[in-house]
Amino acid sequence: MNAPWFSFSVQDFSYAFLSVLLEGVPFILLGTLLSGLIDQFLPARLMTRLLPRNAFAAVCLGGVLGIVFPMCECGIVPVIRRLIAKGLPVSSAVAYMLAAPIVNPITAFSTYAAFRGQGAAEFTSLRLGLGFFVAVLAGLAVLNLPIGAVLKKTILESVTLSCPTGDGGPSPRAFLRRLVSAMEAGVRDFLDVMVYFILGVGVASLFSTAVNQELFLPLSLDDRLAIPAMMTLAGILSLCSSSDAFIAATFVSFPAVAKLAFLVFGPMMDLKLAFIYSAVFTRKFVAALAIGLFVMIGLLCLRLAIVLP
Amino acid sequence: MTGILSRFAASGVLMVWGIVLSYFYLSNRIASYLHPAFQIYTAISGGVLLLLSLALLLTIPAESAKHGLTRMEIFPFLLLTIPLLAATKLSPSNFGATAVMNRGMVDNIADLPGFSPPLDPALPNAEGSVKEGTMMDPSLYLKKNADGYIVAEAIDLLYAAGEPTMREDFENKQVEVTGQFLPALTGNPNGDRFNLTRLFVMCCAADARPVAISVQTNPAIDLPKMTWVKVRGKASFPVEGGRHMPVIIAESTTETDAPEESFLY
Repeated sequence: MNAPWFSFSVQDFSYAFLSVLLEGVPFILLGTLLSGLIDQFLPARLMTRLLPRNAFAAVCLGGVLGIVFPMCECGIVPVIRRLIAKGLPVSSAVAYMLAAPIVNPITAFSTYAAFRGQGAAEFTSLRLGLGFFVAVLAGLAVLNLPIGAVLKKTILESVTLSCPTGDGGPSPRAFLRRLVSAMEAGVRDFLDVMVYFILGVGVASLFSTAVNQELFLPLSLDDRLAIPAMMTLAGILSLCSSSDAFIAATFVSFPAVAKLAFLVFGPMMDLKLAFIYSAVFTRKFVAALAIGLFVMIGLLCLRLAIVLP
Repeated sequence: MTGILSRFAASGVLMVWGIVLSYFYLSNRIASYLHPAFQIYTAISGGVLLLLSLALLLTIPAESAKHGLTRMEIFPFLLLTIPLLAATKLSPSNFGATAVMNRGMVDNIADLPGFSPPLDPALPNAEGSVKEGTMMDPSLYLKKNADGYIVAEAIDLLYAAGEPTMREDFENKQVEVTGQFLPALTGNPNGDRFNLTRLFVMCCAADARPVAISVQTNPAIDLPKMTWVKVRGKASFPVEGGRHMPVIIAESTTETDAPEESFLY
C-alpha cells in the first residue's frame, strides 16, 4: 500500500458528513415524533401489563419486537427512551434496541438481495438469528445490572417520575393540548438526540473519508484477524442497516464469518451510535456495551467459522 | 437561556434544519448526496421541521413550560446549527481524490455492491436471431451518439469484462464514456494510462464506492485529479493479472461538465 493511511480533506469530510445527516435526519425525526406520541398517548402501565412476567420471556419479546415495530438504528433511541419511561424494563428495551435494526423485514430483504449467489438464504438467516441471539444475551446481561449504572440520571428521573402517576391512563386534558405536548416532547427528544448524532456522524465521517481502507485488506487472510477487522470497519463506517449488506458483500477477500460479524456488530454499535446511545445510557454502560458486543460477536463468529466457509 | 428564549432557540434550530433540508431538495443539490429513493424523505422532513418550528412559536407554553421543552444551553444550540451550515457552505457536493483513493477502486464487477452473476442468456431461435426484448438483444442497452460511438458507462464496461457475451458487444467497438480523471497508480506499466472513475452509491455518498476503468492515451495526459472528462476510443479487454480488464484505447479525451446524475446506482 503506497498511499498514507490517514489523509484528511475538509471538503471530503463535509461532503460525507452532510450526506449522512441528510439520510439520517428523516429517521430520527420519525423516531422522535413517535416518541412524543408515546409520551402523551401510551398509558404508563400498559407496557408492564402486556409484557410477560418472566424476565427471560420479556427480554426475548423485546428481541422480536423489531419484526412488529421495525425501526432503524438512528430512530430507535428516542423511542426506547420513552418506552423505558413508560415502564418497559431496561433489559427488554436494550434487547429491542439492539435487535430491531437487524431483525426486521427490510434488513432481511436487503441482506438476501445483497448475497444472492453467495448462499443468501443461509446468510440472511444467520444474520437475523445471530442478531437476535446477541441482543437477547445483552438484554439478559442488563437484567443483572443496577438501573442507575445503565441509565443516565435524567432518564432515570423520568422513569421515577412516571411511576407514581396513578393508573397512568389518559389525562383529562383536551386532545389538542396533548398533541401540543406530544410535539414538545418529540422536539425535545429530536434536539437531544441530534446533538449526539452530529457528534457521532462527525467522528464517523472523519474516519470514513480520511482512513485508507486498504489498511484492512491484509487482515482478510486469517479469521482471527478478519473478524475484528471487519467489526472495526463497521464501527468506523457507521452504515445504515438497510444497506450495509450491499457493502459487506463486496469485501470478497474476507471470509463469510467476517462479513457476518460486520453485519451483526455494525447495526448494534458504531461511532455514530455510541454517541446516540449516550443520550439515554451512562458513558460507562455504552463503553461496556461496545466492548461486550465486540467480544461476544467476535467469539460467536469465530465459532461459526467451522460451519461457514 | 430562559424558558421563552429556549423556545425561540429550539424553533430557530428546527427552522435552520427545515430550510437546509428543503433547500437541498428544491435546488436538486440533494441528487449529489442521496440515492433517489431517499430524497423524498429528506424533503418531507424539511417540511415537517418547518411546521414544527412554526408550531413551537404559535403554541402557548403555559402548562407545558414545566415539562415541555427543557432549557437549551448555548453549546447544543451552536452544535446543532454551526456544523450543518458550515458543511453546507464548505461541501463541494462531490468527493475529492483523497476520499476516493482511501476507499479503493472497484475494477472487478464481482466487487461491486449488489452484483449478482448474470442469468443464462436467451438462446437464438431457429432463424438464428435473438428474440426481441431478451438480454441478448444489444440494441436494448447499446445506444449510439450522432457520431456512431456507443455511449456507455464505466460500469457497463466492467460488466462486459466479466461476461463473455456482453464483452463481444463492446470489444473493438468505438465507445464514449464520461467519468472523472485519476492517475493510475497500479496496472500502468508504460505510464500511459489513467483511471476513469465514477461513484457507485447504494444509499448516500457516505457509502459510495469508486468504480474505475483504464484509459490508455498516446501521449500520456495529466489533468487535475477528479476532473470530469469525456473519453472516446476503442473498447478492449486485455487479460491482465489473470482476468479481462476493461481498457479504452483513447482517440480523444476532453474536459466536460459533470453529468446531472453524478452517481451510478
